[in-house]
Amino acid sequence: MATKEKVKEVIVHLLKVKPEEVKEGQSLEQSLGVDSTEMVEVCIALQKEFGIQIAEKEVGKQHTIDEIARVIDSKKA
Amino acid sequence: MERVAITGFGIVAPPGIDKKPFWANVKAGRSSVRKIERYDASLYPCHIGGMVHDLDAYSHVSSRLLQKIDPFSHMALIASEMALKDAGIDLTKENLNRVGIFMGNALGGWLYGETELRDLYIEGREGVSPYMASAWFPAAPQGQVSIYYGIKGYSKTVVSDRASSLMAVGHATKILQKQKADLLLAGGMEAPLSPYGLLCCNTNGELSTKNETPEEAYKPFDTRRDGFVPAEGAGIMILEGEGRAQKRAARVFAYITGYGTTCDGVDRIKANPDGKEAARAIRMALDQAGVSPKDIDYISLDGVATREGDVGEVAAIKDVFGNAAPSIPASAPKTMFGNLLGASGAVDMIIAMLAMEHGLVPPTLNLNELDPACAGLDYVTGKARPQDVKKALIISRGRGGINAALVMEKA
Repeated sequence: MATKEKVKEVIVHLLKVKPEEVKEGQSLEQSLGVDSTEMVEVCIALQKEFGIQIAEKEVGKQHTIDEIARVIDSKKA
Repeated sequence: MERVAITGFGIVAPPGIDKKPFWANVKAGRSSVRKIERYDASLYPCHIGGMVHDLDAYSHVSSRLLQKIDPFSHMALIASEMALKDAGIDLTKENLNRVGIFMGNALGGWLYGETELRDLYIEGREGVSPYMASAWFPAAPQGQVSIYYGIKGYSKTVVSDRASSLMAVGHATKILQKQKADLLLAGGMEAPLSPYGLLCCNTNGELSTKNETPEEAYKPFDTRRDGFVPAEGAGIMILEGEGRAQKRAARVFAYITGYGTTCDGVDRIKANPDGKEAARAIRMALDQAGVSPKDIDYISLDGVATREGDVGEVAAIKDVFGNAAPSIPASAPKTMFGNLLGASGAVDMIIAMLAMEHGLVPPTLNLNELDPACAGLDYVTGKARPQDVKKALIISRGRGGINAALVMEKA
């Protein structure tokens, strides 16, 4: 599965939202109203899912799914 | 000073969720105390309680939010929604800067707290939900309800053991009378039946251990009493000034006309059996209401079912009511479903309003052999008694003798 799809799956599962609510091209804050506390949970879940370390500044609620996937891919490489 | 009107209420309690099923069971004198079987509680000295079931069936809270809050906030959200609907209030049309929340709670949200603490010790820091910080503490429901509705006015959570919610309502009444708010949600919520919550209640030493006969365990004023039974739930009322209620032609269930509070200040757990400070709180409430003791036609008893608690409460009533004491119907309906601790006073007020509406005083269950030290009151026992209730006194007392008394008058 592409990184982007996996990221989406993690977020949908964690926040208990519908997949269609995660809008392409919109930040998590814009599409889902994600707050900073939820973002802490998202980061922890992504670290576990991909087996990588993500610093606080690298992934935020102002990012889109694409942007988050790019950060993760750059770490896996 | 303007009277404070109660124009709606919501109830989530062991006898039922929402007023109809709740009242049907309470007026029938049906016990809803059961063995706690959500987890293995069999080694706890007291493992019976009043439990709320089917919360989800009444809830409009999203699963996204539910995983961030403790059940005590969930119950407060459900009771608040019912209360607002009951009062015919649409908060989107109110000035939310003038709307506030006054809640009472004794223990906090331990189911959430203890689950996350377990994860902390097993998985380490990353196993703990970042919502832990905002989920467990006693003011969490106040915060969740205010976020849900965008409420921005004067608000407060009172933590005062079993007197918490009556004190919260008393405080809310003062804020309305001082015109610091237009509309207040007031009441309390409690979820003490989690593994750690129940342990805390047990170590306090005031719980009944009659586990084999749950329905008959809670028996205040009886010679064979051995403590109360804990219960979970929430009771929330809508409070507004009489003038405002009239202007919007709201149905008024009752007016709050007097409130008093004092402390015994003698022991960490036990109330002072002389009841002097409890009597002073009752007098304050009656004086503020401008009501003479003989005008009260229902006393809602605290009925903690410890010797000091019961004897002191009765002594206080006899002290204040004198010759009138034996002729005023008195009962502790919480014997049917357990003591909701920080929410108990609000539930007692809701029952008193239902008693006013239906002309029926719900009974104290299990009071079979009256303790001679508690004699001298007109106890309504076993089943409900038809009685016109116009002016009620509600008594709520916390550990160590935190006394609160409130006078309600039928609209």
